[in-house]
Amino acid sequence: MGRSITTRLIALLTLCAAVIIGAGMLIDYRLSRDQILDRLRRESEETIRAVIIDLENWLQGVQGATDLLARILQQRDYSQAGLQQMLRDVVHSNADIFGATIALAPGQTVSPLGFAPYYFRGETGLAYADLATPEHNYQHQPWFTDTVAAGRALWAEPYYDRGGGETLMTTYAVPVYREDEAGKPFLYAVVTADVALEDLHAYLQRLHLGENSFGILLSRKGAILSSRHRENVMRHFSATAAGRANPGGWQEMFEAALDGAVVTRQLPCDAAPGPCTFRLGTLQPTGWPVGVVYSEHEILAPLRDFQRKIVLAGLLTLALMAAAVALVSRRLTRPLTALADASDSIARGDLDVALPPARGNDEVARLVQSFAAMKTDLKTYIADLESATARRSRLEGELGAARDIQMAMLPGQGEASVQDPACNLWAAVRPARSVGGDLYSFQRQGRQLFIAVGDVSDKGVPAALFMARAMGLIQQLAGAAAEPAAAMARLNNALEQGNDNCMFLTLFLGVLDLDSGELDFASAGHCAPSLAREGKAFALAQQQGPALGLVPDLAYPGNTVTLQSGDRLALFTDGIEEAFNNSDEMYGMARFHQELAGSTQQGVATAGPQLLAAIDRFAGDCPQSDDITLMLLELTSADRDAAPAPTAASAEFALTPGITGAVHAWLERVLAPIPSAVRQDLLLVAEEVISNIAKYAGLPARAPITVAVNAGPGQVALEVRDPGTAFDPLQQGDRARLGEPIDQAAIGGLGIHLITSLSDRQNYRHEHGYNILEVVKYL
Amino acid sequence: MELHTNVTVDADHSVARVALVGALNTETAPGFEQRLEEVVAAGHQLTVLDMKDLDYISSAGLRVIFKAAKQAKAAGRRMAAANRKPHIDKVFEILKALPDMAVFANDQELDDYLDSMQQRVRGE
Repeated sequence: MGRSITTRLIALLTLCAAVIIGAGMLIDYRLSRDQILDRLRRESEETIRAVIIDLENWLQGVQGATDLLARILQQRDYSQAGLQQMLRDVVHSNADIFGATIALAPGQTVSPLGFAPYYFRGETGLAYADLATPEHNYQHQPWFTDTVAAGRALWAEPYYDRGGGETLMTTYAVPVYREDEAGKPFLYAVVTADVALEDLHAYLQRLHLGENSFGILLSRKGAILSSRHRENVMRHFSATAAGRANPGGWQEMFEAALDGAVVTRQLPCDAAPGPCTFRLGTLQPTGWPVGVVYSEHEILAPLRDFQRKIVLAGLLTLALMAAAVALVSRRLTRPLTALADASDSIARGDLDVALPPARGNDEVARLVQSFAAMKTDLKTYIADLESATARRSRLEGELGAARDIQMAMLPGQGEASVQDPACNLWAAVRPARSVGGDLYSFQRQGRQLFIAVGDVSDKGVPAALFMARAMGLIQQLAGAAAEPAAAMARLNNALEQGNDNCMFLTLFLGVLDLDSGELDFASAGHCAPSLAREGKAFALAQQQGPALGLVPDLAYPGNTVTLQSGDRLALFTDGIEEAFNNSDEMYGMARFHQELAGSTQQGVATAGPQLLAAIDRFAGDCPQSDDITLMLLELTSADRDAAPAPTAASAEFALTPGITGAVHAWLERVLAPIPSAVRQDLLLVAEEVISNIAKYAGLPARAPITVAVNAGPGQVALEVRDPGTAFDPLQQGDRARLGEPIDQAAIGGLGIHLITSLSDRQNYRHEHGYNILEVVKYL
Repeated sequence: MELHTNVTVDADHSVARVALVGALNTETAPGFEQRLEEVVAAGHQLTVLDMKDLDYISSAGLRVIFKAAKQAKAAGRRMAAANRKPHIDKVFEILKALPDMAVFANDQELDDYLDSMQQRVRGE
């Protein structure tokens, strides 16, 4: 689940609940704790008070009984037996009194040892002892002497009553004074009542505040009368282990209690872990410090129980709370989780994934609804996109095929490189789109090179189609060997026909004489060619006519320039000059001329791609906006230097049945220097041409037929001239269908096939009443 | 240039062998046409044009051979060419002449062909 909403909800709400519950419980605990502590304090105080009051009542009862006895004796005389009997009754009837005596003062009886009967509670009931014995000698006992000395009632220090009760006890002694005849008081007796420490101890142990709590009672001199440890009884507190541990604290506490104050001290003790609380007061009748020792730790055990229960209840509440929050938030976020899973599936392309049901009208339901709408929209959108992509790729496929077809129209499929003995040429076209409107063409005809570079208005498919039409016409013209200016005029008329869309073509058309270097050219609105000569490049001055295809029957001016050895001619379209970069700067002619002048050391096939690459570098990321065509051309000086002088010869023959033989004989002689295979082909061509003339020219016998031979470097031209009716054998002559089975084949129409197959170029014209057929064969 | 023809007949095989020497061109074609028509008219099952010594042929000459071959085929007979020189072969190639005419590169092929013909006849 990670850091999901559910987890965060649980964590946050639980934390909030923890804080709230914790705070509430803390306040509750604080209040409860104070109440509990208060209650505990009150309880302990009441316990102590109750015990002390009981103790005081008891001791006061003892005191009262003794005082009453003393007052009786003060006023009335009893016989010794009567005294004994009274004493016995007092002890018997006062259960609080352990033992009692009436000790007569010396001189009040005849016996030198005095008279002191003692009744006490023995193991088997009331027992009697005589204290007036030499062993006991009561008149020297502290309880007697101290009381006599003080002259008032006293509680004696505890002692072991040897020869009497044989137990630890303390004694309340009251002196009984009588008056003699003179009204002078004299000591008659000392009446005592004993309290066994054992009984005191039993009383005190009712002071019980917790398991390890115990009561403590001290005498006025600091002897321990009752404590937790029996062995400490009768010892001075400073002699006990606890007293030794903190003598100062004990002394201070003891003195304060003697003075009647209620003191509370925290002192170490062995009764409980941690310090014990000593709470001491004064026992009224006797002035003995009395108190209780308890452990606060023990006293507060109920409070700790309470704390534990509070914490447990808090934790339980929190756990229940967290469970409830988990349940609720999980229920709330279940559609969200399902939606997240669904969106993952959609991201993987599964648009048919089921969405969680949207119940009600809450935020989640609205989210699910808009998600469903988004899914539907996405599906529609993707379907649209797919069909659009399919259409587009089909179109791209067609455009790709169109580009291949268009490039196939250009020599070299769009990039041509020719290394010829006479000239080097490199040309390339780069359409801005798949197909474009730029074109180039070149064709060598003997010692003449026909070149054309053109640019159809607009780009893309319409331009490409117009370009295809223009290309066909230009290649027809190339075979016609007309002057460029005249050819341009013809081309203009041809393109103007049916050009309702007013597409137009700018064109450079030139014929370069490879021997003389003379370039005749015409320009139909086309940018001027550039010439690199002696390290500089510049545009050639030109006279030009309008672009082709718009207005018929125009005349185009001709231009002539003579190329020198080392010159390099660049023909191009305006896509070069008008190449833009990202800053909207134009490449311009200055940059092009600089690059052109700098590239003349490389061959044309190297320099051409470099020039285009320079334009690409300039344009950077900026897409090519227009088609780019570049043609580089240079004469090879070596070829011209080595070219042998052209040989030319012509002869006239009379049209007779034997003319073929005569022509053959002449040609054998004239063409002697050229290879015999070529010569054989030319002989056959000549025969076919002449036999055609004989058949179709309608000439009378002995009509003059002129045959001329012009053998230059690389080619031989054969020209046959006759004065017959105008007849173009190339176009009008019968041509047999070749390869037919013999029973279906026509007899005849074979000659023209031989003429076109055995020569490289044929050109027919009718001039000044003569049919002139020129046939050229390259060597 | 002239053309000489030399016709030998192998009656056993019903084969006429026409040897051509020289040039078969516009001038010599009419004469050769007449000569070849005579040979074809003689009714041999096979007429073989032996071009071993033929130096030159033009469309006019081919026209003659075409015509004769057509006649022979119409009559249910056959015509064959043998021993064509390379440049003669080239002309035949250009014109895709006589595609269904048997062509023998040399005498040996011709002899083998004749033998197989004979065996077939005997088999019938």
